[in-house]
Amino acid sequence: MNLPSLITHSSLPLCVNVQLNYEQFTLAISQKFDLQGITGVFGHSGSGKSTLLRVIAGLEKQVSGNITLNNKVLADSHTKQFIKAEQRHIGLVFQDARLFPHLTVLANLQFAVKRCQHARLELNEIIQLTELDTLLDKHVDELSGGQKQRVALARAILTEPRLLLLDEPLSALDRQAKTRLLKLMATIQTELQIPMLYVSHSLDELQQVCDKLLVLAQGEVVGYGGIHEMIHQLNYLTTTSQTEEIIHQQTSLSLPIKHLDNGYGLTVLSLNDDEEIYLPVIAKQTTAQSLRCFILARDISISLMEPIHSSIVNHLLAKITTITTQKNMALVTALCTKHGEAQEFFVNISAFSQQKLALSVGQKIYLQFKAGAVRTYLY
Amino acid sequence: MHLWSWLKTFFWCLNLSWCTFCHATSEQPLRIAVASNFTPALKKLLVEFHQQTQINTQIISGATGALFLQLKHGAPFDIFIAADSTRPAQLEQENLILANSRKTYALGQLALLSMTAKVQLSDLNKPVNRFAIANPDTAPYGKAAKQTLQHLGLWRQYKPTLIQGINVNQTFAQIRSQAVNIGLVANSQLVLNSLTGVIIPAHYHQPIAQQLVIVKHSNNINNAKRLSDFLLSQTVQDKIINYGYANIKAQKGKLADD
Amino acid sequence: MINPDLLALLTTLKMAVLTTVILLFIGTPLAWILAKTQSRFKVIIEAIIALPLVLPPTVLGFYLLIAFSPQYLPGQIWQQVTGKQLAFSFSAIVIGSVLYSMPFVVQPLQKAFEQLGDPLLEAGAMLGAGPMDRFFHIVLPITKASYITAASLGFAHTVGEFGIILMIGGNIPGETRVLSIALFDHVEAFDYAKAHVLAISLLAGSLLLLAAIYLLNRPHKRSINKVVNK
Repeated sequence: MNLPSLITHSSLPLCVNVQLNYEQFTLAISQKFDLQGITGVFGHSGSGKSTLLRVIAGLEKQVSGNITLNNKVLADSHTKQFIKAEQRHIGLVFQDARLFPHLTVLANLQFAVKRCQHARLELNEIIQLTELDTLLDKHVDELSGGQKQRVALARAILTEPRLLLLDEPLSALDRQAKTRLLKLMATIQTELQIPMLYVSHSLDELQQVCDKLLVLAQGEVVGYGGIHEMIHQLNYLTTTSQTEEIIHQQTSLSLPIKHLDNGYGLTVLSLNDDEEIYLPVIAKQTTAQSLRCFILARDISISLMEPIHSSIVNHLLAKITTITTQKNMALVTALCTKHGEAQEFFVNISAFSQQKLALSVGQKIYLQFKAGAVRTYLY
Repeated sequence: MHLWSWLKTFFWCLNLSWCTFCHATSEQPLRIAVASNFTPALKKLLVEFHQQTQINTQIISGATGALFLQLKHGAPFDIFIAADSTRPAQLEQENLILANSRKTYALGQLALLSMTAKVQLSDLNKPVNRFAIANPDTAPYGKAAKQTLQHLGLWRQYKPTLIQGINVNQTFAQIRSQAVNIGLVANSQLVLNSLTGVIIPAHYHQPIAQQLVIVKHSNNINNAKRLSDFLLSQTVQDKIINYGYANIKAQKGKLADD
Repeated sequence: MINPDLLALLTTLKMAVLTTVILLFIGTPLAWILAKTQSRFKVIIEAIIALPLVLPPTVLGFYLLIAFSPQYLPGQIWQQVTGKQLAFSFSAIVIGSVLYSMPFVVQPLQKAFEQLGDPLLEAGAMLGAGPMDRFFHIVLPITKASYITAASLGFAHTVGEFGIILMIGGNIPGETRVLSIALFDHVEAFDYAKAHVLAISLLAGSLLLLAAIYLLNRPHKRSINKVVNK
């Protein structure tokens, strides 16, 4: 499909410098976003991530500070400027879809088309892209949760927004529908080049599609950076806060696909040029050149000798860079280096094992993990 | 602004269609506010009045008290035919009526009525558990009924048994429908409905002088005067007496001081 | 001359239609504000609007009569602006009915707006719809049923109104004599035959109106039976 790109500028910086006070909650954020690709916003419930989206969208009016998008002021409490939500050219997909119950699917989409000034997108192409062809005449109460969100996504795209905000669009969906919608989001991003701000409390989902990640806690920015780098930072955060239930310590990777199937039902990824990582075949065919995957820290074990006589297919030589212990567990960081390239891995072992192996920083070790431990959410 | 003009157009359309529709009847008729107990009699008399004068009339029938209140607040009536003399007198004091237009046109008679038994005057001496009269504080016939019972020295005994109608018409309806077995109503009601009861002797109560007044701000004063003259004419007075009222001449002397 | 009862019927219809239209125009913003505001005064305004529900019509009628009379300010202002007296005019009974039937229109609308809440309005805003656009294309179609309810209650209640109109209208044929008062007049005059005709036509008319409204208000049939399994 050849869709016109909606973006005329190569980058659309979003500057948010706002403060918002509610009785029990304060949001204080000062952050610039380059808005390339999909920017994830991660935090627990009450961290202010949805509120941040509403502030950018213009749905929260009692905000002090300023917001600019592509050098255009959206709101500035100082100069009393405030562009209304309907004039910001920002799209928002809500957690609960919010389709109009008095309209059919098609009429919901047309609602957006009628109010869109540019109309560069072809309604039919978006319908095909979002696979809504068979649902057009349905009433919204006949749709499943996943279908509703696809309509909501299509409807938001059809306004041809400068920025698309996604507020936990997957949270009410089952696994299958989540996967489908995530892929769709990724496709839309690449095909239409709409910058997206994607809020979720699921790191797994964010890891799959985001390029950048903003982490919020209690209304403030905890970190902002590349997706893998931020996820790795979160590994340390986990040891100091009570967030273990949500964040699984992990190694987050984007690796080139070397073989889709090596003949034994394994897909081979390449690491640092000539190392290989095996995982169960992800798909019969795919156009993807690389794969987002993650390995949970608890799925990797450490061996002092090269485990060549092991059924475990993945083993890598690495050097310990840090050891952090908490209670009975130790988080070991190890660096795999080859040809001047390096990849950091995170390993969770018991304090008991750490003592038994007498691990120390700088020590060379072998990391081993089963093919099944290399996880990917999309496949 | 847009909304307002739309609304105005709507008003205009409604009014227009209305006016064209009413045009045939829009010649201002004489508006007569009349106490409801005299309404049936007046309706009959107006047929003759129209034949004689070709004057069109409109009857607004109501309780004397309510019509009085409305007149005080500018009701567009031309002539007020009340069921008592106090409200017309009050209007006169407030300078709301045409000078010297206050006239007694009828003298009410009180009657004892029962639909379930043949009544005699002596039945009044045997209080029953329910007895209907009009409101003694607001209705002229109620006031006379109270005076009658006081005259007989029975007021205290009757008091707990009284069913009070807001006006004498309601009282009449209560007795006629047999909701209450017995009570005091206007004799004119009996005559008009061909019922028989007992007329209460006039000296049991103060006269129920029914007066009419011409409203000062009326722009139909001439026609109002003609109606007043008509009602007071001897032939019409005879008819009024036939409708169950007493001869006003009998009370002339007594009325001067109220 | 038109039949006086027919005239009363036409006066009643004119009054009720006008009252209903005015109430929908006034009631919509009022109900909207009440549904959206967090203000302390909300309770007071709600109580004032609900007052006709508990207040005897004659009490309201009495004070309106005083207010509308040329001796007092509202009546004076009206007279200066329009050149006509307000009390005992058709305008007076329309204003009286508007006040008296207000809760029957405002309350269902307020409830509907509260139930609708902000979510769909926010969705509309994010699709580029301004406030009026949102009202006409989201609020109105979704709360259509409540509008029909509000209009029919307001209309029916106005047709049935008696005490206030008797007080401030003065029972003037063609101007302020409405059906309920004509009916009362017939009963007062023991003209039960005419009273029955009026009562039965009032009954039949109301029944027809309400039936039509409920027919109009029926939910649209949809192929809900088709289960989507995807």
